[in-house]
Amino acid sequence: MTDETDMSDVPAPGAADSAPVAAPAPQPRRGTDAPPAADGAPVPLRSEGLSCLFSGRVVVEDATIAFPTNTVTAIIGPSGCGKSTYIRALNRMHEAVPGATTTGRVLLHDHDIYGRRADPVAIRRRIGMVFQRPNPFPTKSVADNVLAGVAFTRTRLSRAERTALVESTLRGAGLWDEVKNRLHSPAGGLSGGQQQRLCIARALAVEPAVLLMDEPCSALDPQSTQRIEDLIHELKQRITVVIVTHNMQQAARVSDFTAFFTIRTEGEPGKVVEAGPTRQIFGAPKDPQTEAYVSGRFG
Amino acid sequence: MTVSSQPASEPQAALPGDAELRRPVVAMLADRAYLAVALLAALASVGIVGYLLYATWTHTDPVWKAFGVWGFLSGREWVPVPAVGDPVFGALPFIYGTLVTSAIAMAIAVPIAIGIALATTLILPRRLRGPVAGTINLLAAVPSVVFGFWGIVVLVPKARPVLEWIAEHNLRFLLITALIALVAAVFVRGLARLVPVTLAAFALAVVVLTRWDIPGLPHPEAPFALLSGPVLSGSYALSGLVLAVMALPVITAVAREVIATVPRDQIEAAYALGATRWEMIRHSVLPWARSGIVGASALGLGRALGETIALAMVAGNVQNIGGSLLGPTSTAAGVIALQWGESSDLQMAALTALGLIIFAITFLVNLFARMLVRRGASGPGPVERLRSRFRTADEGTAADASGAIERLRREGMDGAPVVPIARRLGSVASEGLVLVLVALGAVPLLLLLFEMLRSGLGVMSGDFITQPQPVDPNDVRGYGIRDAMIGTFVMSGIATAVAAPLGILTAVFMSEARSRSGRWKRLGDGIGMFVDVLLGMPSIMAGVTLYLTLVLAMGHFSALAGGFALAVVMFPIVVRSSDEVMRLVSPGQKEAAQALGAPRWRTMWSVVLPAAAPGIATGVLLAIARASGETAPLLFTSLGSQVGFQGILEPIASMAQFIYGFTIQVRTDQSIEFAWGATLVLVTYILILTLAANLITRIAGARRSSQ
Repeated sequence: MTDETDMSDVPAPGAADSAPVAAPAPQPRRGTDAPPAADGAPVPLRSEGLSCLFSGRVVVEDATIAFPTNTVTAIIGPSGCGKSTYIRALNRMHEAVPGATTTGRVLLHDHDIYGRRADPVAIRRRIGMVFQRPNPFPTKSVADNVLAGVAFTRTRLSRAERTALVESTLRGAGLWDEVKNRLHSPAGGLSGGQQQRLCIARALAVEPAVLLMDEPCSALDPQSTQRIEDLIHELKQRITVVIVTHNMQQAARVSDFTAFFTIRTEGEPGKVVEAGPTRQIFGAPKDPQTEAYVSGRFG
Repeated sequence: MTVSSQPASEPQAALPGDAELRRPVVAMLADRAYLAVALLAALASVGIVGYLLYATWTHTDPVWKAFGVWGFLSGREWVPVPAVGDPVFGALPFIYGTLVTSAIAMAIAVPIAIGIALATTLILPRRLRGPVAGTINLLAAVPSVVFGFWGIVVLVPKARPVLEWIAEHNLRFLLITALIALVAAVFVRGLARLVPVTLAAFALAVVVLTRWDIPGLPHPEAPFALLSGPVLSGSYALSGLVLAVMALPVITAVAREVIATVPRDQIEAAYALGATRWEMIRHSVLPWARSGIVGASALGLGRALGETIALAMVAGNVQNIGGSLLGPTSTAAGVIALQWGESSDLQMAALTALGLIIFAITFLVNLFARMLVRRGASGPGPVERLRSRFRTADEGTAADASGAIERLRREGMDGAPVVPIARRLGSVASEGLVLVLVALGAVPLLLLLFEMLRSGLGVMSGDFITQPQPVDPNDVRGYGIRDAMIGTFVMSGIATAVAAPLGILTAVFMSEARSRSGRWKRLGDGIGMFVDVLLGMPSIMAGVTLYLTLVLAMGHFSALAGGFALAVVMFPIVVRSSDEVMRLVSPGQKEAAQALGAPRWRTMWSVVLPAAAPGIATGVLLAIARASGETAPLLFTSLGSQVGFQGILEPIASMAQFIYGFTIQVRTDQSIEFAWGATLVLVTYILILTLAANLITRIAGARRSSQ
């Protein structure tokens, strides 16, 4: 599925039924100096020495993690270790909270998203996000929710294209069969699990390079959780996923890589203790703290 | 449940009989007595006000007998003293004037209020939001007599050249307005495809206004006669402008509250999709707050429709239907204030009927408003519903999405992550438009403050607050407003003594009734509804009812009648604010007390009231502030007085009425100066009350959070 000529490495959803279009890369990919994941896959997103602060208080300190393309990376750790703060800093949602600042770098395809010319609005269009609680626009219809992000882009679509995009995106999010007869009724009427999948569809519709998920299942029942996890498995065929979870089984089930955050005592900043392939983190952790956490003795 | 009240000596084995579980008779009687007192207070106050309104209603009988309901409502003639024949009374000119001036006020105030609400919650730098919102809130503390006075003395002369220009160039003015509206629509909607719609609507309006002869509207031969001269000071336009300034703080305050309830996750949803701040406002904030903002506007409309004294001062006494918006007008509430004093019995009945009609209209508007404000976010709006109805038709056209996906993907990868200039510009321009609205809203406030300080401080001296009032408006030196100040204190004192205890007890009863079911709950709900009705009552009606009952019964005007009229104004405010803070006392605290075996009165006395006390005090203070600035209820109850305090059974002066008298009844350069001084004193007094109320809330809040 991966088209090596395109730096995004994200084939279009539905590319299986239609011929994949090999687009010329707008920019040649530069060599990366930080070694990515073990298999040498390209790395669309990574943080380098990223620290997150609230009104000058450091909450996450010096986090360096690479997120290889077409993989799922789980971020785990005890409550208050800063994992949600960290993931919000990856698409500059962190700064939406008053007083929140960062230091260090986050590179999206070698562009520093905290660079001088970088614009949070453009960053977020490329790095999508799904939140803990489903937050569809309740007054907009299901179809308009899917297209909400597209309205913020430069791309103008014809009516037929919009209809097609709604269908293909909802299919991609595994929601089409459930909502195809109520595309034009308000999204507030869907169940919690459906709303969360609609939020995923909404985030995917603009074709982001990376999807960030901040505990996407914490407000859902086990059955809906199962469906979202299945969806994540499918998503990684075409996109890079970062997921924060407090559920270690979930991390083990859905992720290829895992990063473990922790804090020593309350009030201290959270730090990355260990990051690597999920199998290694859960099977043979190098750090005793990681072992204590994944074996359930702490946190 | 009342385990702790059982005697400790109770034998464990024996099941407690009925007798042992019963409370002592005294304790039970205490609880009964407590509920009875609360119930009586609630019923008495509601009954008194109900009786007042009933008595008022019966006074209007002659009008319906003489003209019939429809005849009165649709009558275009209002001739109290005809040269020949019988007097004729028709309400239509005043209803028309009321509706049109309020509509103009809304057209001006609503966009500005929404702009200020958005700016002070989302757009302005954080440090500026509080001060700007607070400054606009200052306007809410300014009594309407001051707006009327300021309208005549400052606004009308300043606005006249502008209006004259409009009258001379009305075609060009219309075009410019349409252009601004177009530009605003494009920015706000962010959609070029709305331009044709707006253009078409504008063209249609022009055609309708110029080609068709619509009864009631000017003849098409005179193009845009709605804006033709001559410019008169008591015009629809100027009255609407003054009303707009008065409605602005009301709408802004409620709209701000509504916008503050937009959940954080809705805001983040838009940001996470790559929305600029303005796009976020359009997609997350406005849809969520839509019905609340409409409700806020309706609350402002309710205030504008019932406004009496400012319009009695600014608008004229001329009955006029249709014609230019720059022509003369008069409103229902205003004409009551202007004509009541020298009216015959039938005319008084007709004015009373006019008051009841306005009361009914404001009641409906307020009902609608409250429904919308409480409802919060709901389904899609009317436009979206309409759009989705048309859209369902094209469902079958699902084509191949790959082209769209490819374009989106390529756009996402395209170059460095910056936002296209055009989109940036659209957002910046929209926010700029909002800031322009804020500036427009700030202009009248600054004009008012500046003029009040400049002229008011000019006449301020020790004498001004210690000396009796001048008899001759041309010779004011050495005189003061001592008697008017005493009058205001006396009457708001009487009003507080009546309204505060009754209001708080009524709120206590509503709180108890809410925790019960059946008849009690229904009674509590009914009283709550009645209080809401009173809350929206135009204040002139308080004066009318007291005149028709107490003043007529006593045979003369008195401070007592004025105090009671103010009490009618204060009562619903006290009940509403007390009820709201008592609602906020957590049920957990009440249950904790009840689980300890505390009877109802103890729970209320030791748990609910102490927790709610700061809020209740705030509510009472705000009610006093409101009453102190009222003029309309006093015009035909306390009447006003040239001499000092002579006891509460005699007519008495008051600050608000003093300003009214020195602007309307006598008007010289010196009296205007003097009125500015009185305005400064009155506004300062009301501001101190308002600030004290805010301080209580803040201190109580700080204490609670430090616990």
